[in-house]
Amino acid sequence: MKRSISPRKATRRKTMKRESSIDRPEYQPQFLGARHYFVLLVMFSLLAGLVTRALYLQVVEQDFLTSQGGQRQIRTIETPAYRGSILDRFGTPLAISTPVDSVWVNPTEILANLTALKQVTDKLELDFRATVTLLKQRANREFVYLKRQLEPDFASAVAGGIDGVYLQREYNRYYPAGEVVSHLVGFTDIDDRGQEGLELAYQDWLSAQPGKRRVIRNRHGEVIEELAQVSRAESGKDIYSSIDMRLQYIAYRSLARAIQYHAARAGSAVLLDARSGEILAMVNQPSYNPNRRHNMDAAQQRNRALTDVFEPGSTIKPFTVAAAIDRGRFHAGSTIDTSPGHWMVSGHAVKDVRNFGVLSLSDILRRSSNVGASRIAMSMHKEEMWESFKGYGFGEASGVSFPGETSGYFPHHSQWQPLDHATMGFGYGMSVSITQLARAYAVIANEGRLLDLSLVRKEVETSPHNQIARHVMKASTAHALIKMMAEVVGPKGTAHLAAIPGYQVAGKTGTARKSIAGGYQKDDYVAVFAGIAPVSNPRLVMAIMIDEPTQNGYYGGLVAAPVFSDVVSNALRILDIPPDDLPTLVQSREQGA
Amino acid sequence: MDSRISLSLLLTLVLGSALTVIYVKHQSRVLFAELRGIQKQQDQQVIQWGRLQLQNTTLATHSHVESRARHDLQMQIPEKVELVRLK
Repeated sequence: MKRSISPRKATRRKTMKRESSIDRPEYQPQFLGARHYFVLLVMFSLLAGLVTRALYLQVVEQDFLTSQGGQRQIRTIETPAYRGSILDRFGTPLAISTPVDSVWVNPTEILANLTALKQVTDKLELDFRATVTLLKQRANREFVYLKRQLEPDFASAVAGGIDGVYLQREYNRYYPAGEVVSHLVGFTDIDDRGQEGLELAYQDWLSAQPGKRRVIRNRHGEVIEELAQVSRAESGKDIYSSIDMRLQYIAYRSLARAIQYHAARAGSAVLLDARSGEILAMVNQPSYNPNRRHNMDAAQQRNRALTDVFEPGSTIKPFTVAAAIDRGRFHAGSTIDTSPGHWMVSGHAVKDVRNFGVLSLSDILRRSSNVGASRIAMSMHKEEMWESFKGYGFGEASGVSFPGETSGYFPHHSQWQPLDHATMGFGYGMSVSITQLARAYAVIANEGRLLDLSLVRKEVETSPHNQIARHVMKASTAHALIKMMAEVVGPKGTAHLAAIPGYQVAGKTGTARKSIAGGYQKDDYVAVFAGIAPVSNPRLVMAIMIDEPTQNGYYGGLVAAPVFSDVVSNALRILDIPPDDLPTLVQSREQGA
Repeated sequence: MDSRISLSLLLTLVLGSALTVIYVKHQSRVLFAELRGIQKQQDQQVIQWGRLQLQNTTLATHSHVESRARHDLQMQIPEKVELVRLK
């Protein structure tokens, strides 16, 4: 029977029994009226308060609180990127960026801890009081530089472990070649923006784009988690310039010596690769050190080779001859009577040093006869001469993209008076930069092709046959001309100091009076030389200009030509260009022995 | 019966996944710390590279090389009388 009753029912029965005997006074729940309700009310209202607050924070203020929390922990930080280097054609650095650190503080944080600030200012050699005043003025900012561009190890020793003092990675520009190539490379400002030279011309190519990252930082400012990369850091790209530092240094040294020896005011020289139009060296005096630019003036800064013009004088004569031969007025064997050594053109006398009598074209260059050159010029129509000269690149930019480059002064033929026409034949009444002059000589060296010059290394090895270049002079004329110009450098020429043993060299000197407002300066000259080597297979063109030589002579053949010989002889050796005139070398050797 | 098994299975899976989350999070922290370390190292090496480059160019300055060659090593450019042509 017991089994028929389920255990539950049995229990219930027992309970019922207990309920029935309720009269025992063990436990008596009682309602105590007001006190009871009061306690309940207080407890419920506290609970309700908490729930409401939680709801309020979770629902109404959630966005605000999340963003505020984020602001205290999430930071967008910069990933540093460095500016591209400027290199010479073989990769020798001319301008490189090295990492430095700038120390900055959050004024509110650091002003709360003046002993720490005192330590920092002592290490940085700053005036403590002045710094405090400065920081108090800027107390509402969060970012104040204390000192910029310090050596990284030193900077972290200064700022290490002090709250409110931070470091920012920056890059300092350094120019290892210093004043040797400063005009060309230029420089940047403290914020890494190009101000001059290639630094300015190729700013977009060189400049770096710092990246941005969103990170979570802990209380000590250490990054503990990276959330996202906002933008990638893009470092600047390098530039291989066309400069050959070996030749640049030799040219710089040689020009500086010449300027000093002749006590000249200034000077420039340009060395070109005759085949490609690349500028192998470009130097100027006076120069400056781009790493220390405190007391630098504008005269030191100018890249005179590209920005300054002068009247080229006699160095133009080969082009007068070339234009006349090209136009069929003369041929290589023609002669011109220059007697009596002066010639009246619309009331003005064109003069030679003396009466040279009858001269061949080659003699006109060798003796540098003004009468001869102006007779040749006047044999052409002024339109013809203008067109030819324009073709040689006079009056137009040389193809390098360089800030402040001049295109010289070459007036349109409609403005020419007969006197202009005559004097233009020997290089007065127009002005050129030394780079333009070198480019024009490269036309003669390059069988009559006008090249666009370049300050950037050309990637493909260019030979005269595969490049797109304008033919502006007949090849036969160029060949004839270079032979005539070789005699100028010969033992009887005005430029025998430009000669290089073992090589045939062609060139032309110029000594021009400096023009001033309304006339010409009596004793101020510009000494010029432009030359080509070797004659049999031209590889190098160099033009040198020395402004106002005052001691030890002032003629182009005496002042500028030796620079050519010094630089180009070294360049030929360094570039392994074989001698094309061994007999004279052997001869001079035997004489020496 | 079925519902009990699936419930306990689900519970195990949830627990397992929760533990994995913890583990993965830990791993990511460790790896991130490692990454930071490597980045710092890279930074140091970039600094050193810059320093070496500067040192290299300073020592290789043409004027420096020239003065060493001329004065310390007594070198000179041969005079033309000293040149011998080899055929």
